[in-house]
Amino acid sequence: MMNPAAVRLFPGVVAAAAVLAIVGLYCMFASRNLLRVLIGFEILVKGVTLFLVLAGYASGRSGLGQALVITLIVVEVAVIAVAVGIVLALHRHHRSIDTSTVEHLKG
Amino acid sequence: MTDSLLLIALVVCAVLSVMAADLLISVLGLAAASALLSLVIFRMAAPLAAVFELSVCAGLISALFVSVTGLTQPSRRLEVREYLKKKLARFWFLPLLAAAAGIIIFLSSTYLPTHMAAPSAEDAREVLWQSRRSDIVGQVLVLLAGVFGISVLLKEKT
Repeated sequence: MMNPAAVRLFPGVVAAAAVLAIVGLYCMFASRNLLRVLIGFEILVKGVTLFLVLAGYASGRSGLGQALVITLIVVEVAVIAVAVGIVLALHRHHRSIDTSTVEHLKG
Repeated sequence: MTDSLLLIALVVCAVLSVMAADLLISVLGLAAASALLSLVIFRMAAPLAAVFELSVCAGLISALFVSVTGLTQPSRRLEVREYLKKKLARFWFLPLLAAAAGIIIFLSSTYLPTHMAAPSAEDAREVLWQSRRSDIVGQVLVLLAGVFGISVLLKEKT
């Protein structure tokens, strides 16, 4: 049987995770500021985190859910750190973090 | 009730961080969303993940974003507001899509699978160090790759 507390939480948490993922994708697609793109990525990852924890909680394998979330957070930090480095390097060269100024890589 | 309030506040903070014209407010909204998410995670019996979320996402990443915001001196508020207005006009359907998806998923997920297992006292440390040992190696490699990438990107030309 599913955890009764999880049964109560399930609809709300799934809806919140889906809305977070869509809001994050929206921010990534609609924005041209590189920092806003990263903020969108962060929000998307928060939706995924919420869903992973819920899956662990509902299935009774909370330890596995936590282990996966910790791995996800480590990967997220590495991605954000490198992306911030790229943003700073781009700002050093172009004096801007607008994606429209970085078009010379287009094939 | 508390869980519902926390989830609503989490979504509101995320939407605020996307819609705010000022980049600093966006970053602060993101930090608040991280803090609220860690509370939600803690209430779902995942304390280790909650501590990681709070310290790393709400702390470290927010500090990184605030420092980059200060270093890059983004566009003025009016310019950003104009740009957002233009973009919102083009992607007007996405917020509606988000709301519709939230409602549909909320209504449809009341039919739950009942064959799932009951919660067990499985320890995250045990899982991480015994059954998912390769994840630890992967994490170390990813962190090393991150450090190497930053040192290459921010290297001063001599």
